[in-house]
Amino acid sequence: MKMVKAEGLTYEYTKMLETDHGTEEEKVTALKAVDLEIDKGEFVVVLGHNGSGKSTFAKHINALLEPTAGTLWVKGMDTKNGELIWEIRQSAGMVFQNPDNQLVATVVEEDIAFGPENMGIAPEEIRHRVDEALATVHMEKYAKHTPSKLSGGQKQRIAIAGVLAMKPDCIVLDEPTAMLDPVGRKEVLETIERLNKDEGITIILITHYMDEAVRGDRVYVIDDGEVVMEGKPKEIFSQVERLQQYGLDVPQVTEVAHLLRKEGVDIPADILTVEEMVGALCQLKLTT
Amino acid sequence: MSIKINHLTYIYNPETAFEKKALDDVSLEIKKGEFVGLIGHTGSGKSTLIQHLNGIITPSKGEILLDGENIHRDKAKLKEVRRRIGLAFQYPEYQLFEMTVYKDVAFGPTNMQLSKEEIHANVVAALETVGIAPELYEKSPFELSGGQKRRVAIAGVLAMNPEVLILDEPTAGLDPKGRDEILQAIKHLHEERGITVILVSHSMEDVAKLVDRIIVMHEGKAAMEGTPKEVFCHVKELEAMGLAAPQVSYVFAALKERGFDVPLDIFTVEDAKKVLMDLVRQVRV
Amino acid sequence: MIRDITIGQFYPVDSPIHRLDARVKLSLTFLYIITLFMINSFVGYLFVILILGAVIQLSKVPLKFMLKGIKGIMIIILFTAFINLFMTKGEHVLWQWGFLSLTMEGIMLAAKMCIRLVLLIVGSSVLTLTTTPIQLTDGIEFMLRPFKKIGVPAHEIAMMMTIALRFIPTLLDETDKIMKAQQARGADFDSGNLMQKAKSLIPILVPLFISAFRRAEELAMAMEARCYHGDENRTRMNRMQMQKRDYNAFAIGVLYLVAVLGIRYATKIFGFLI
Repeated sequence: MKMVKAEGLTYEYTKMLETDHGTEEEKVTALKAVDLEIDKGEFVVVLGHNGSGKSTFAKHINALLEPTAGTLWVKGMDTKNGELIWEIRQSAGMVFQNPDNQLVATVVEEDIAFGPENMGIAPEEIRHRVDEALATVHMEKYAKHTPSKLSGGQKQRIAIAGVLAMKPDCIVLDEPTAMLDPVGRKEVLETIERLNKDEGITIILITHYMDEAVRGDRVYVIDDGEVVMEGKPKEIFSQVERLQQYGLDVPQVTEVAHLLRKEGVDIPADILTVEEMVGALCQLKLTT
Repeated sequence: MSIKINHLTYIYNPETAFEKKALDDVSLEIKKGEFVGLIGHTGSGKSTLIQHLNGIITPSKGEILLDGENIHRDKAKLKEVRRRIGLAFQYPEYQLFEMTVYKDVAFGPTNMQLSKEEIHANVVAALETVGIAPELYEKSPFELSGGQKRRVAIAGVLAMNPEVLILDEPTAGLDPKGRDEILQAIKHLHEERGITVILVSHSMEDVAKLVDRIIVMHEGKAAMEGTPKEVFCHVKELEAMGLAAPQVSYVFAALKERGFDVPLDIFTVEDAKKVLMDLVRQVRV
Repeated sequence: MIRDITIGQFYPVDSPIHRLDARVKLSLTFLYIITLFMINSFVGYLFVILILGAVIQLSKVPLKFMLKGIKGIMIIILFTAFINLFMTKGEHVLWQWGFLSLTMEGIMLAAKMCIRLVLLIVGSSVLTLTTTPIQLTDGIEFMLRPFKKIGVPAHEIAMMMTIALRFIPTLLDETDKIMKAQQARGADFDSGNLMQKAKSLIPILVPLFISAFRRAEELAMAMEARCYHGDENRTRMNRMQMQKRDYNAFAIGVLYLVAVLGIRYATKIFGFLI
C-alpha cells in the first residue's frame, strides 16, 4: 500500500474581491488534478514558489482540507471519510512554517505530550513517548524549558518531537525552515534526515530551497497547482532553465555547470554538490 | 553623510541574572554612498548594532557620530536622526496598518509634518523605487502578495527620504522570485538615489552579489571587515563563526588544494564561469 | 521595558512549595486572600507577614523577584492610599483644605489598605511563581469540574488560559518590535494630548491584532493536526495526585486560619492594638 496516493486531486475555493462594483466572487483553483504516489520510507520533496499550491497540497495529506474533486489516500484511507480523520492525522503528522504558532504549552515536555493526550493514550505510555521523542530530536536537556526562550531551530525540533510522540508513519513538513537562520535550518534538516534514515519515517518536505531539495530521494515540482516535474533530484536540477521559469533556483554549482555546458564544455548537467563539481572539473582537465 | 561608531558597548539587563553583553567595544565607519553588508549568525550583535544606528537603543558605553555629532547629544534631534537613517526591520510587513498602500507609505512623511505636496511626491517616488505599480496604491496592503507587502513596507521607510537605509534580513522567508524582486529594488535605490545602504543578511550569495564592503559580527565584536573578495577567501574563519562562504568559493578552495592555479576570491556564478572557461581554454590550446 | 512585567511568570527552582499540588496551592491562596480581609489590626498583619515571609523563604524565590510585581501596580497602591488618606472622615482631624482632610483614621486606613494590597499581590505571586502555568490551569480545571454540570466549560477555560499564557511572551515581543518599527517611521507615543496619544496607538494595535488573529488561525490548525478535539477521551501525561506533603500543607493552612480567627477575636476583646 502506498503511504500517500493522490488521484485527480483538485481543490477550489472562492475568494472575495473588493472591486469598484462592490464585492465580487472569484473561483480560485489551487490544485488542478494532481496525481502522485509516495512510498513508505521515501524522502520526497515538493518544490514550488509561494502561491504555487504546495502548501494546499500539504494540508490535504493531514485532512485539514477536503478535496473538491479527486481523492487522496493516506495508507489507503480516504481523507474524505470523516470517521478516519483522527487516524489519518495520527498516521501523517504535520509540522508548520512558523515555529511560534504551533506550540501549545508553556513547557516543552507538556507540548510534546499534547498530541498523545488528544489521542487518549495512557499516562505512562505518554511519558515514555515524550522522553523518546525528546531524545530523537536531541532536546532532552530542554524538557522543562519554556518554548518562548528557545531558538527558532530548537522550537521547530520541539514541533517535530510533538508529532513524533504520536508515532506517525509519515511526517509532512510545510516549509519548516523558511523562518530560521542558517544554524537553525541545519539543525532541522539533520533531524529530518535522521528520522528518515534511522526511524524509517516517510518524509514529505515542502520547500522552495534548492539545497534542501537536493537531499530528497525524489522531487515533485508544483507550479500553478499542477505537478509539472517529477524525478530524482539530479534529473530535476539538470533542467536549470525550466526550474528558473517556475520561479525556482538551482544550487550555484549546478548553475555554473549549466553555463559551462552552454559554452560547449563537456561537463555533466546533474552536478549538485561542491565535491561533484570539483570531481568533474578534474576529470575535464585530464581528458581534454 | 558619514556614520562613525566609537567604542560602542551595549549590555542587556545590566546588573541582573540575565545580563548579556550584546556589543563589545565596536568601532566602525560607514561612508556616504557605500553599500555595506553586515553578516553574523543570530545573537552575534548585528541587530543590536543597527538599532543603535537609528537611535532606538541608547549605548551603554561609546558613541555614534552622525556627521561628527553624537546622535544622543540632543534628544530633540533624535526624530531627525531616525528620518536620516531609515531602518526597515525584519519582516517589515508586520508593521503595515493603514487602509491603503498609499496611506501606509505616507505614515512616515506625515509624522515628519511635510506639506501635502511633498508627502505625495515622496510616497510616489518611494513606491516607484520598490516597483509597486500605481494601480495597487489604493488597494489594502493586506491583499498583496508576501513580496509586495514587504516592498510596500520598505517604501514606507524610503518615503522619509533617508540618507542611509538599513535593511534587516529583507529577504527572509521569501521565495526566489520575491527575493530577487527585493534585491533588485535595493540595488536600484542604491544606484539611482545614491543612498548609503546597510544590508543585514544570512545569505552569503545575496551579499556577495550586491555589496562593496562586508562587516562580519561575531560575539558582539566586529570580527572581520573588507571587500567581499577579502572576506570570502577566509572560508575556515567564517565557518568557525557559524557562517559559510558562497558555494562556489568552496569549489575554488578545493581546486587550489588539488594543485590548480586558480584565484580564491571567486564567489559569484558569473565570475566562476569566467575563470573556469579561461582554465578550459588554456587546456584546449 | 515591556519585559519587566512578572505577573504570571514561573520561577524555575525546586522547593517544597514548588512541589506542592497545584490544587492545594490554589485553595490555600484562596484561603489566604480571605484571611487578608478578615484581619483589621496591625498585629494581624504582622502575623501574616511572618507567615508569608516563611513561605517565601521556603519557596527559594528571591524576595526581589517577588517585589518586582508590586512595581507594576504601584499606581493603584498610591491611588488607594491617596483616596483613603484624604477622603476618610474621622474625629482626629490633623489638617483640612476644602473637601480634603487628613485624619488619624485616614492614615490608619490608608496604611492598612496598602499593606493589604501589597500582601495580596505578593501572596498571589507566590502561587504563580512556584506553579507552572500548566499545573495551575490543570488545577483550575479540576476545581471547576463540579460546575461542569451547570454548563461551565471547565476544559475550554483551562485551555484558553494555557494558550494565553503561552502567547503572552510572544505577543509582548511582537509589541516591542512593532513599536520600534513605527518609531523608526517617526511615530511619537509620548507627546501630545490624550486624544493624540490614543490615536498614536493605532499603528501599534492594528498590526498587533492582525498578527494575533493570524497566529490564532495557524495555532488552531496546528492543534487540529495534532488530533485536538476538546476533552472527549483526552488523557493527561501528568496526573495530579495528592501526596502526604499536600495533606500536611492543608493542615498547616487550617491552623493558619484558626490563628487568624484567634487574632481577630483577641483584638476585638482587647481593642488596644487598634
